[in-house]
Amino acid sequence: MNKAHRDAAIVDPITLQVIRGSFETIAEEMGHVLYRMSFSSIIRESQDLGAGLFDTDFNTLCESESTPMHSGSIPGYLRGIAQTLEDDEWYEGDVVVHNHPYYGASHTPDLAIVVPVYFQGRLVGYAGNTAHHVDIGAATPGLIIDVPDVFAEGMLFAGTKLYRKGEPNRAMWNYIRRNSRAAGQLVSDIEAQVASARLGARRFVELLEKYGEVTVFTASRMLMDYAERITRQRISEIPDGDYTAEGWLDDDGRNRDRPLKVKVTLRVRGDEVEVDLTGSADQTPTAYNVPFEGSTKVAAYAAFRKLLLDAATTDTRVPSNEGSFRPIKVTAPLGSIFNPKAPASAEARFTQCNRMIDLIIRALAPVMPEKIIAGSSASISFAAYSGVRPSGDYWVFLEVNEGAYGGRPRSDGPDSIDNLMANTRNNPLEDLAMHIPMICDRYELRDDVPPGAGAFRGGIGVVKSQRVLTPAFITHESERHTEAPWGIFGGHDGAVGRCTITNRNRPGEVRDMYSKFSGLEVVADDVMTYYSPNGGGYGNPLDRPAQKVLEDVLDGFCTVAQARTAYGVLVDPEAETVDMAATEALRQQMRSVG
Amino acid sequence: MQLAGDGDRVMARIGVDVGGTNTDLVLECAKGVFYHKVPTTLKNQSIGVVDGVRGICRIAGIDTAEVETIVHGTTTATNITIEHNGAECGMLTTEGFRDILHIGRHKRPYNFSLHFDVPWQSQPLVKRRNRIGIPERILPPTGAIDIPLDEDAVRAACALFRKRGITSIVIGFMFAFLNDAHERRAKEIVQEEIPGAYITLSTEVANVMREYERFSTAAMNSYVGPKTAFYLRDLEARLREAGVASKLRIMQSNGGLSTVEACARRPVRILMSGPAGGVIGGAAEGAMTGVNSLITVDIGGTSADISTIPNGLIKIMNPRETYVAGQPVLTPMIDLVTIGAGGGSVAYIDQAGGFHVGPRSAGSEPGPACYGRGGTEPTVTDAQIVLGRLDPDMALGGDLKLDAALSWAAIEEKIARPLGLTVIEAALGIIRIINNNMVLAIRSNSVARGIDPRDFSIMPFGGAGPLHGVALAEAMAAKDVIVPVAPGITAAVGLLKTDLRYEHTESVIVELTHADAAGIARINAAAATLQAHVRAELDSDGIPPAQQSVTLVAECRYHGQGFELRAQMPDGAVTADNLRGVIDSFHDQHHLDYGYSYRTAEVELITLRAIGKASIPRIEIPRVGVADGTPPTRALMFTRPTTFDDGRTLDTPRFDRTRLLCGDRIEGPAILHQHNATTLIPPGYVAETLEYGNTRIRAIGA
Repeated sequence: MNKAHRDAAIVDPITLQVIRGSFETIAEEMGHVLYRMSFSSIIRESQDLGAGLFDTDFNTLCESESTPMHSGSIPGYLRGIAQTLEDDEWYEGDVVVHNHPYYGASHTPDLAIVVPVYFQGRLVGYAGNTAHHVDIGAATPGLIIDVPDVFAEGMLFAGTKLYRKGEPNRAMWNYIRRNSRAAGQLVSDIEAQVASARLGARRFVELLEKYGEVTVFTASRMLMDYAERITRQRISEIPDGDYTAEGWLDDDGRNRDRPLKVKVTLRVRGDEVEVDLTGSADQTPTAYNVPFEGSTKVAAYAAFRKLLLDAATTDTRVPSNEGSFRPIKVTAPLGSIFNPKAPASAEARFTQCNRMIDLIIRALAPVMPEKIIAGSSASISFAAYSGVRPSGDYWVFLEVNEGAYGGRPRSDGPDSIDNLMANTRNNPLEDLAMHIPMICDRYELRDDVPPGAGAFRGGIGVVKSQRVLTPAFITHESERHTEAPWGIFGGHDGAVGRCTITNRNRPGEVRDMYSKFSGLEVVADDVMTYYSPNGGGYGNPLDRPAQKVLEDVLDGFCTVAQARTAYGVLVDPEAETVDMAATEALRQQMRSVG
Repeated sequence: MQLAGDGDRVMARIGVDVGGTNTDLVLECAKGVFYHKVPTTLKNQSIGVVDGVRGICRIAGIDTAEVETIVHGTTTATNITIEHNGAECGMLTTEGFRDILHIGRHKRPYNFSLHFDVPWQSQPLVKRRNRIGIPERILPPTGAIDIPLDEDAVRAACALFRKRGITSIVIGFMFAFLNDAHERRAKEIVQEEIPGAYITLSTEVANVMREYERFSTAAMNSYVGPKTAFYLRDLEARLREAGVASKLRIMQSNGGLSTVEACARRPVRILMSGPAGGVIGGAAEGAMTGVNSLITVDIGGTSADISTIPNGLIKIMNPRETYVAGQPVLTPMIDLVTIGAGGGSVAYIDQAGGFHVGPRSAGSEPGPACYGRGGTEPTVTDAQIVLGRLDPDMALGGDLKLDAALSWAAIEEKIARPLGLTVIEAALGIIRIINNNMVLAIRSNSVARGIDPRDFSIMPFGGAGPLHGVALAEAMAAKDVIVPVAPGITAAVGLLKTDLRYEHTESVIVELTHADAAGIARINAAAATLQAHVRAELDSDGIPPAQQSVTLVAECRYHGQGFELRAQMPDGAVTADNLRGVIDSFHDQHHLDYGYSYRTAEVELITLRAIGKASIPRIEIPRVGVADGTPPTRALMFTRPTTFDDGRTLDTPRFDRTRLLCGDRIEGPAILHQHNATTLIPPGYVAETLEYGNTRIRAIGA
């Protein structure tokens, strides 16, 4: 942005709203084109992608409402591209691919495609997107955990031009085509990303033509200032102070006896806050590290957007841009799990981000009891299934499994749903089984352990059993087999996650798995069953209305026994009634004991 | 009455649109066009419809037997989803998958929120306790049976449903789109075990891959089905009793018409029936006025429907993106948003002191407090009365007597006193909140999609619509306000402005790029079946074959993609030679939509769709006379005080809108009265009467 923009008069409120709406529409359209065109299910069904427009200072002008982990990550890529750009300069018609985690990328499978936007012969910004690709030729198909360094992550691109001045870089396309187990999908999906980015660039130019450069960039600056102002207001409502919380991650995927600490310290001072991750574990020797620029910071910002600018409960929708990040400072010592040093691998970074957010929420519980929620599963289950077809071609399938939320001040925690930083769509089971040699045997709410009891109960996690029909490999990135989601204000803790391998032909044999494993060879009819953690409860279970407990029992959200022991409610499941008098007496007694 | 000769009757057609509060009718016959409006009889809407049909025939001076066709738009199904009072449903599904409806696509509605609602969990179409897993398994990709249906388990589930008094049953099995044998067998058993049960099979309502969307569509059908089917059949019977032998046609969500039987079985196709008529009527009014770019705001008693019509084009949503009450429903629908905001929306103070208006509605029974039917809760209509914007003695041209004292009492007791406001302040607050709710919805359908409202006219209709038009246009900075000829009846008029339209689809998965003779034969066989279905429906409407038009569309995608686009089919049969044309038209469409095509990738046909149409005569609206330039005192009725949004109370003249002539200009403050609607012209605005008696309102000097 040049000086003229900064000095420009303000844009009237109607034009401001129209430009904002236009920006948001462009971002949504870029996202739509990308997932509608793409071939791999992780993009077309799960919508594990992000798209938007950016100015030449790498500020976000708009961003699609895709998955939060992508939101806010693209500026990091743009800064990395600026350091590594082929030819050291942009030309009109260029298309760049970038995924280097030590140059701003979120993690290597999330390739960014960026095109420069020219208006009246000058570079005025960028249109770009990120999408998770099925396979970029890493050490194991699809996902990696137990690897030595970043070079095992597969193809690393830094400022690499796929097109120069509109002409394809055929050597590079050819290279990509030869270095993936799912080359067809990878190449087609990159082409979809290029189409989406070019569309964004075209729309950006149309917008500039309609409203003028000064008006558009002034409006975007005002939108950033607005987001900053409202974030500062909300932060200033939190009492000044230092707030901390800590928890433990299971292990790094190789060293099973070493849990990894996550420590969050929040320093609230006036209208600013620092998120300090000092005290968290050192970086790990596996891929279980978090790129600082592309993921750690993005997750910390997201935590505050959820807490302070809750989209469901605030009438004012805050635009998605850097403005809301400005009052938040993120610190993590170099060499720690949230800020690894090259050449450490940092591909498997999701569960650490989710736990960090969960602990930010916990740290603030004492001062924001009406805004926080009890502990969520705050993990993820990211599974890569793969195998070799008789033709010799690989098939690779990536699946994101959901978790559950903690109980909330006014409602129960949602069940079986993507939580915190994750917000993908599941794969239709029918679509999946029509395309690859797998079939789902079970997809339901977990019923082996209850969620955390509370005045508002925790959410119930999922149980999902996927069976392979031919020999296959599985890599699974998950968490929380050892520390259950926390209850709060009298609510009970939730339940830890679990993962088993069984075989349809050997009933009774159950292999309990670690939360992370890499490249496991399985045989036909082997079934991986994932149980996601159940959320913690919020508030005293004895305060939950007896009628609600009865409904829970009828719906199987709670057993008759748990209704009695945790809630003090006596349910007759046959008559479908509650013994109110006996319940009152029992609850009185439990209160006096408790 | 004039006969066309040789015993032919003069064809009379009636459009009847039932809203949450009023039932609107329009009749077109040789004598002209007639309008009528009666209160909706909520407990059984058909009573009001029959009364209205009789009434409008009386007004037109024709016999009910002369009515050839009645076209009906109904919000019966929609209201069930808004008010969450559908049938208690039971579901039979594949063992291991009882929570498909609870998990959905596991994506939450907001990226950045901790306190969001999950509608499919908090308001389930089928409670978990009534979703029963049945051992059975169909295998992909062939549809072979791996585990036969456990018929005893089906019977046991039926016993539980009987115990719980459940008679609306959803049957949705995994992979049933490949083989529906288990769904059909389970249906037979349910019919034996629960005679008279209302049964929906997932493969009957949406025979497509993707279990959640298919089950959800089926569950929605079962949820709204029993009440909707009862209503439609009861209406048909009552019309017969009343001597009306006409054909009854129902407006579907896609803007086309269908039969009572088809809609009673598949009410999921008429969830947007009422709003569809409004959008078509609004677009037609826009065309009459020469205004192409419109935002229609149809404000009824219960809800408001908003649709953006750029350049006169009514948009149809992609069926993969159609949701009703937060639940996916796979049927073609006109692109619009509905919110719970209308004249009957109830104003209340919540436990925490929050002041809300809607989405709950008082409907017409008991209706707003002023109806004097026992309603004690204040509504938007009561606020309009208190502000002097609605004249209690003029509602429905005086046919409906309203009691202003009851409006004052309700607002005072429930809103003003608890909040420490005057009654006028409280009434202004009610209007401000409801207007703001509508503005947010208009934004989501326009500005949020990059549409600049300054290029658009707001077209408010529904009886109360023109009371809100200027306030909405002001908030949106829209160009102006166009008030239709008969705002209270616009949706009903739209019912007589559409074509017969029948659509049938069949899942035909054929890889086109290397299709062999067998593949081509499958396509042609499916095409022939679909065309026959469509033509049979048009035949039964008495449309001569020459006037029927049937279009075939090939919904295709690149092999491995997830979304289809429409490709053109050849005029005759598909052959190895002309198949290339289908493929090329898909590439072209892909390029047009996405700016890119994969010319070497394989193209796969997924669904074949036949769309049968027959144009029917459109209603003709007569022009009004031209003013001679003198002030329109001929139309002045009386003057009363009215309170405007800025809080000023001004003596405000009332004009009879039906006596205004083309070219008449009336400056605000003023109110235009007609039988079915009231138009508010605030100070600073001028209303100009146009050619057909429609009105343009804009800021003076604008």
